[in-house]
Parts: sequence; C-alpha cells; structure tokens
Amino acid sequence: MPTIKVNTREFCNFVGKNMSVDEIAERIPMLGVAWEGHTNDEFEVEVFPNRPDMLSVEGLARSFSSFLGFKKGLKKYSAEQSEYMITVDGSVSKVRPIIVSCVIKGLDFNDDLIKSVMQLQEKLMLTHGRKRKKVAIGLHDLDKINFPLTYTTVNDNVRFIPLEFNEEMSIKQILETHPKGKEYAHILQGSQNYPVIIDAVGRIISFPPIINSEHTKINENTKNIFVDITALDAKAAMEVLNIIATNLADRGGRIFRVKIKYPDSLIYTPDLSTREINVDLKYANKILGLNLDTEQAIEFLKRMGYDAIELRKDVLKVQIPCYRTDIMHEFDIVEDIAIAYGYENFDAEIPNISTIGGEDQLEAFATKIRSLLVGFGLQEVLTFILSNKNALFEKMNLKEQDIAETANSKTSEYNVVRNWLLPSMMDVLARNKHNDYPQNIFEVGDCVELASNDIGAATVKKMCIVLCHAKASFSEIKSIVESFMKNIGIEDYAIEEDNHDSFIPGRTAKLIIKGREIALFGEIHPIVLEKWGLEMPVAACEMNVNWLFEEIFK
Amino acid sequence: MDLTQLHEHEKRIIKFLEKNPKSSVEDIQKETKLNKDSIERAILWLKLKGLIEITEKSKDYYVLTLEGEEYLKTGLPEKRLLKTIQEGTNSIDELKNKVSYFSIGLVWAKKNEWVEIANGKIAITNKGKEALFKKTKDESVLNDITKSKKELDKEVVDTLIKRGLVKVKQDVKRDISLTEKGKEIAKTIKLTKEISQITPEIIKKGEWKKAVIRAYDVNLPTPKIFPAKRHYMMQIIEYIRKIWIELGFKEMTGPMVDISFWNFDALFQPQDHPARDLADTFYMKQPDYGILPDKEIVQAVKATHENGWTCNSTGWQYKWDENVAKKCILRTHTTILSARTLAKLREDIAKDALPAKYFSVGRVFRNETLDWKHLAEFYQTDGIVVGEDVNFRHFLFYLKRFFAKLGFDKARFRPAYFPYTELSTEIEVWHPEHKSWIEIGGAGIFRPEVVKPLLGKDIPVLAWGPGFDRIVMLNYKIKDIRELYWNDLKQLREAKLWLK
Repeated sequence: MPTIKVNTREFCNFVGKNMSVDEIAERIPMLGVAWEGHTNDEFEVEVFPNRPDMLSVEGLARSFSSFLGFKKGLKKYSAEQSEYMITVDGSVSKVRPIIVSCVIKGLDFNDDLIKSVMQLQEKLMLTHGRKRKKVAIGLHDLDKINFPLTYTTVNDNVRFIPLEFNEEMSIKQILETHPKGKEYAHILQGSQNYPVIIDAVGRIISFPPIINSEHTKINENTKNIFVDITALDAKAAMEVLNIIATNLADRGGRIFRVKIKYPDSLIYTPDLSTREINVDLKYANKILGLNLDTEQAIEFLKRMGYDAIELRKDVLKVQIPCYRTDIMHEFDIVEDIAIAYGYENFDAEIPNISTIGGEDQLEAFATKIRSLLVGFGLQEVLTFILSNKNALFEKMNLKEQDIAETANSKTSEYNVVRNWLLPSMMDVLARNKHNDYPQNIFEVGDCVELASNDIGAATVKKMCIVLCHAKASFSEIKSIVESFMKNIGIEDYAIEEDNHDSFIPGRTAKLIIKGREIALFGEIHPIVLEKWGLEMPVAACEMNVNWLFEEIFK
Repeated sequence: MDLTQLHEHEKRIIKFLEKNPKSSVEDIQKETKLNKDSIERAILWLKLKGLIEITEKSKDYYVLTLEGEEYLKTGLPEKRLLKTIQEGTNSIDELKNKVSYFSIGLVWAKKNEWVEIANGKIAITNKGKEALFKKTKDESVLNDITKSKKELDKEVVDTLIKRGLVKVKQDVKRDISLTEKGKEIAKTIKLTKEISQITPEIIKKGEWKKAVIRAYDVNLPTPKIFPAKRHYMMQIIEYIRKIWIELGFKEMTGPMVDISFWNFDALFQPQDHPARDLADTFYMKQPDYGILPDKEIVQAVKATHENGWTCNSTGWQYKWDENVAKKCILRTHTTILSARTLAKLREDIAKDALPAKYFSVGRVFRNETLDWKHLAEFYQTDGIVVGEDVNFRHFLFYLKRFFAKLGFDKARFRPAYFPYTELSTEIEVWHPEHKSWIEIGGAGIFRPEVVKPLLGKDIPVLAWGPGFDRIVMLNYKIKDIRELYWNDLKQLREAKLWLK
C-alpha cells in the first residue's frame, strides 16, 4: 500500500490551521489514513487505494480540512476553453489506445511543488495506474511545446533525447539501456510499434508509458504545464487526470481543457463535472445503527467534501466531487457519513438475535484425537503445509509423484503443498538433535492431494506419530496404533505387512478398515534417517483422519 | 538439633564414633554393616551439620601393573628363558619362537649374568643355574605387593617400577571423630529403626508403626521433567474456536487449494486488483484451472464486476474474464470461506436460515520470502453475521467481545479499505505491557456487490478476518515470527499453558 511524505508546514497551510504533528497524528487516522511516523518537518501516512485523491499534500489537506470542519462542502472546479489539441492516430488502438490531457497555467514551481507533484505522479502510476500498465502520466513544460500534438506510433529506430540524458537515443536503445526503459519495457512487450506524442515541429515529447523527452522537462522556471495521461482504460485515465488537475488547481493553477480528436470521435478533457447519487437516510441509519436526521446527515456529508440536499423525505441527493473515484454505491456514501460521525463515537450494542453455535464435526474429532495422543506422552508440533519435492520424496527415499505444486513461489523451499505429514515430522526431528531424547511427537494437520473434483485437489486431514529414541521400535508404535484404535472404538480392522521405501522391509505394516488402507506404520529405514542426518532410531505412523472420521461417523 | 533431621545411618555412625573416635570408613563399615556409599553420604552430611570432624592422612602404596600381574602368573621372562634352555633348547632362533617376551627375558638374563651368548647359541652361567632353583628377589617382591606386605626391599621395588611391573598409588586415610556438638547429640540418640522409602512391604506388615519415618529436606532439588502437551499455538486456536462457539457461531471449513473465483471474484476484487498480483498470491501449476460453480452465481458475479448488475452499483466497469476466475490458488484469506458459506446459505434462505453466524480459524498463504516478520503461511480467524437487522454497532460489539476474551479490554477501530467491505475497519488493541496499539487486522460490512450475487439478496453481513500471530508472539515473548513453527522441543516443553 502506498505511503506518502508530507511537508507539515505546507500541509497546515492547505488545511488552513496551524496544528502540531501530534494533533495531526491523533486525528488523521480517523479519516481513514494510516499514520506511519514523522520527522522534524515531514510526516508519513499510508493512503488506502480507494482514495488516490489523497496521494498528495493538496488532496490530503483538502479532505482533512473539511473533516475537521474548516472548509466544508463541495469544492467546485472548472476548466477553461483553449485551442490546445491532440490528434490520435488509429495505430495506437492496439498498443495504448487512450489519451486524455489538460493544461494548467499560473503555477509557481518551487521545490515544494516539484517534490509534491513528482510524488503524486509516481504514486498514482504505481497504484491507480497499476505500475504504469493501466495508466501513465507525463508532465511537461507547456511553453516548450508546439501545438497541435499527435498521439501515434513509431518503430523502434526513431530517436529523441529522453529525460535526464543529453544525447539522442533510439526507442530500441531506451528500452534496452535507459533505467526506466528497462523497468517498464515489459508493458510494451510483443509490440512492433511504440506509442509516442509528437509536437507540431515533429519533436517527440513523450514515449508513454516509459519516459518523457528532456526538452519539455519541468524546472523551477516553469509556470505552465501540459499533462498527458495514456492508458488502457478510459475511466481510470479520466480519474487520474481529474486528481492531478484539481490538486494543482488547489495550488492556484488555472485548468484548461484540451481537445482530443480520436479517429471517430472528438472529446474535451478534463471533465470536472460532479456526479449525483441518492442516499436513503433510513438505509444509512439502519446500517449504522444510528438515528440521524436530514440536517445531521447533510452536515456529515459536507465534512466529507460532498454537497447534499433533501430530495424528498428521507432521501438525500448527494453531489460527488470530480476527484472521488471510489463511489460505486450509496453504501460508499454511508461509509463516509460514518467516518464523519467518527468510528470512535459509535457505541457497541449487543444484537437481539439468537443463533446456536457449533463446531465443524471433523475439526471436533481432530481435537479429540489430539488430546488422546497427548495422553500417549506425545508432544504436539505444528508445521508448515508448504514443502518441497526434495523433502517429500528424495529425503524419504521415494520416487517423485504428482502433487499440488505452486507456479510462482518466491522460495524453492516452499513450492509444493505436502501430501503427507511424515516429512514435516522428520524435519522437526532433524532440527532438534541438540535437545533431549526421547522425542516423541505428533501432528494432526492438513495435506493436499490431487483429486478429480471441481478444483482438482482435495484438502485431507492426516495424523502422524513419530517416536524417536534409542529403543524406538515397531512394537512400540504398533502398541500405540492398536491402543489408539481401541480408544476411538474401532475394533474391526486388519494389520498386514506392507512395503514402503521409507520404512524397513519386514518392519512395515498397514492398517486396513473395510478394505481401505487407513494407516501406515513401522520403523523408518536407516537410509531415510541418514538423509535427514538423524542418528536415533525412529518409528512412525501416518494415518488418514478424513477416512477414519468417515468410518466412525458415516 | 531435632533428631528427626538425622538419617538413621547418621545416627548409627554417631553412636559408633561415640565409642570409637578416630575411625576410618572401613572401621565404620565393619561395625555398622552399611554399604560404603551410604557411609560416605552420611559422613558428608554429618560434617555439613558440624557433628563430626575429619582429618586426612595420605600414604603411598604399591600395586602391580597389568604386565606385573601377568608375570606373576606365568613367571618372569628371564626365568622362563632359563628354564627353556635348561630343557635343551639353546639356539637363539628356536628360543625366540618358544619363549614369549624373549627379548625382554634375554636383556634381563644378561643383566643378571645368568647367560652367555656365543655363535647364535645361549648357554647358562653358574649364577644362572643358581637362580633356576630359587625364588629371585623380584619374584618375592611382586608376591609381597599382592599380599599388601608392608616391609619391602626399596631397591627392588624401584627396579620393578622402572620395568613397569609395579606402580605407586596414594591412599588417603581419614580419621573420623565426633565434634563436641556431635558428642552432645550422641548422648541423646537412642537407635530405633528408621524408614526412608516406604515400601508396600512396610505398609502391609505395619513396620512403620515401630519406626521413625525420616524427614526429607523439602528444598533439595529434584530432577526436571516435562509433560507432553498441545502446541501453544493450537491451544490458542482451540480457545478462539471456543469464544466463537460461545457467541453462537457455527464453524466453517474449506479447502486450502481453491479457485480464484471464491478467493477474489466472489469478494468483488477486480481482476487487475493489486492483491491478485503474482507477487502476493500463490498460483498453482498443478492443478492449474478449476471448474466454476453454478452458472447463476457466476453470471451474477460477472455482471456485478462489469456494471453493478442489480446491486444499484456502477461495478468496476471492465470486461470480466472467467478464465482468470478459474485459476487455482492457495487461499490468501479465510474470507474465502465466508464467500462460500454465503453461496451455500442461498439455498436455505427461505427455510428460516437467517439470522446466521459463522466463524473459521484456518491457515492462509501469502507468497512472501520468510524473515523475522513474514511467513508464507499463517492463521486467520474469520467471522460473519448475516441478518436483516444487524448493524455497525453490533459489529463493534462482537469484535470488542472477542478481543476482551483474548485479554485485550481496549480495542479501537479506525477507517480502512478493503474492496469487499464498507465501513471498512482496521482493528487495533491496546497492549498494556507494551503500552502500544497493535494492529490486528481488517473487518467491515460486506458490500452489496459481494452479498447479492452470492446470497441472492442484499442483506447486511458483518464480516471480519483478524490474524492472531502477533497476540501469540506477545504472549510467549517471541520476537521472530518463524519461531511459531520452528518446533524447538525445548521451547515447546517449557512453554506455559495458555491460561485464558
């Protein structure tokens, strides 16, 4: 989740009140912004992804100021007419089809503003822009551009001077060697044509979503800027544009519209009009457990930057500011009423409903057998469900078999889901060689087996007992297994000799109930002990708890 | 001094020493018939209690080495050499085979001037003939040493020590006597039978009636033992399950490997949502794709994502792809179970199934590189309350109650964001020892875009899914989260029970 750094002095200026850092830290989390910490002149907060409009000092201060009641109500923004134009070539439709834009004039690009606008651009591209893939933002010095512009595609031999460089590079070179080129080349992968914005004298000013030209770079002398937003998705592009335009307007900039000529349509951006949504006050009160009247509700809505009027009894018509991207349902407005009311001001109340609780039967059974196993003097352990093929097969002296496997694990140690517990238990023994023996342990835990159900895999509860001490033997584990069966009331079973490569031949057995092999037990083969680095004999039993459960309860 | 604090053995030794001052352990043993270990233990205690004094004198004595003992049995090699020559063998080569330790024997025979060598043959001298028929000094001394004779020929002994047949040992002789305090006590002791270990025999025969049962020092250290028990994490899981059941919740369980549909799509997470990124979610290579549930639910979820369906919502406004929803994953949260439960409730909704409350405690997975703060799998506990009349204040009640049961009387709630809830809430609890707020996890009321496609009806559903690793770590003073699954048996054996 994105965090931003905010200059405290600047923030207070925008809020319209001098506040101490402690006051801000106390109140701002109740607006839905997580406090991360502060230094002498800056504080850091985490902004949740539903509120990209708060990713800069202007937007954050705007919301906070009205939340505290200083500058309440809807803030209206408008864009002036202009002659700036971008023509969109049809060739972009396959690469990066959307472009929207605006011009902001009359800004004073001091250090604070440069830092703040860069942060906003970067965080918006990261979050709302999905790391530039969905939306990319270019900011340019307006006065270095010759209009009209063309948004089109070129091949990778075309050259221009990219930002922070002083010589021309081809698109190909940029993608291969420029730091931003290398970082974002994957977005354009598979394309032969590359999107660029070219000005009236044929100069490339931007190569979205990778890099701008050095020529139009913003510096401390910049007064007027040109904003280009390219995207895969028109809605997201417009949202990002509105956030940038309104935040810069809060800095005193004047917003100008840009005419965009698509092959088959003509649009003007930005569109800063408000949206309207009706909110049923009874619905809001019911969900919140409150009894707000129209006046109170309207006051709370104003504190969240909305305007509202009573449309008819118990129905409010709410105007949504153009920078809010997250309002999908009237419930979103109800949430904002709750935030304005203050989560800390709600009194908890016992609901007047009665239900009967209960355990899942299999989980309840697992709990019972766990306490039985403790009675045998076995210490319970708790291990990871994720494992690797080396542990499950090679170290158990087994041939590899098909199991549930992940596609993208960050560590090779955890890239399959275990299909049995014994390897996890061997791992516990291997890690405990420095501790006192006997080490008699058990786990009742989940495993995953490939299956022919809708998912292709089934989660199966298994149980594993491991005895590890100088005299651990087949007869000891057999005693426990038989006593275990007797204690859970199963008498009708057969024990037969078995062959399993993890166990010593002639000291391996299976327990069969109605033809189903429910458990495997015996003495672990010294080959296996050696692979785990163990110097103590081990006797073990692995049992399918799901099947056992079915035998008893079904 | 209270006589019951004296062991029966100690009393007997005091009584013996009363009449026999300056006795040794052996002297005491002869008289009291106690075994040597018991006497040693008793005199140690008596000395600590200040009842006896011990003076030690050390004295050298001799014993045979292994080689010495062998020669004593088979004869000295030089003597055996003489005998063999006497019996008619005189060639060096033959003698070498017949006489064991031949070379040693030859060296000493020559030194004693018992033999002469000429032309590969050995002949006995007159001195040798003399020696043949009598016991030499060496032999007598070896013999004397085994009989612990006191008067020994010092010169011979030294030679034997040099030959490695005899070694010196030191004997510490202790003279044990009563102190003044001991003598005082001795006067008061009347020997009765004392019982230390009560045996079935003693009880059966009633012997204890005629004896004193010795008092123990109750502060003496005893061996450490450890019980087998439940893993502390599992104890807490059981406790959490109990809390929910007490509050009237039914348990839900489900598969670890599932399809993305239930984990994400059904919870209204758009298909390009960052949480679905490869970076956070374990996608499966095998099984790679699963089968989507009922068409009715799938169509409703699709429409809700694309345009809000009949939820009075705008939806996310993008083209929903069912292949993305079919991808198999390891569940990233137990909220997946809440989604599946809502879909199941749909069938029973007409049959008075509502209001309904469900909980789960289960393992979830995140594609993380493990370090002291991060695990790739951990536990979560989810809960939902489905009911026409439930609201945000009820939601706060359940969560406050739950955390109070876990020992946190102060919980606070601040606005947060999750794609599937409104009134999204971050829960924090106050840790009185650490004097800080601890983030526990998320909660909220399910969005209509989640509830309606699954349940078929827009009804409030309170929902939460906090983790509890942090609580366990704080309770057990664990700094590194990986320790929760290390299973260090020493740690498990010593871990306190979860006593809430």
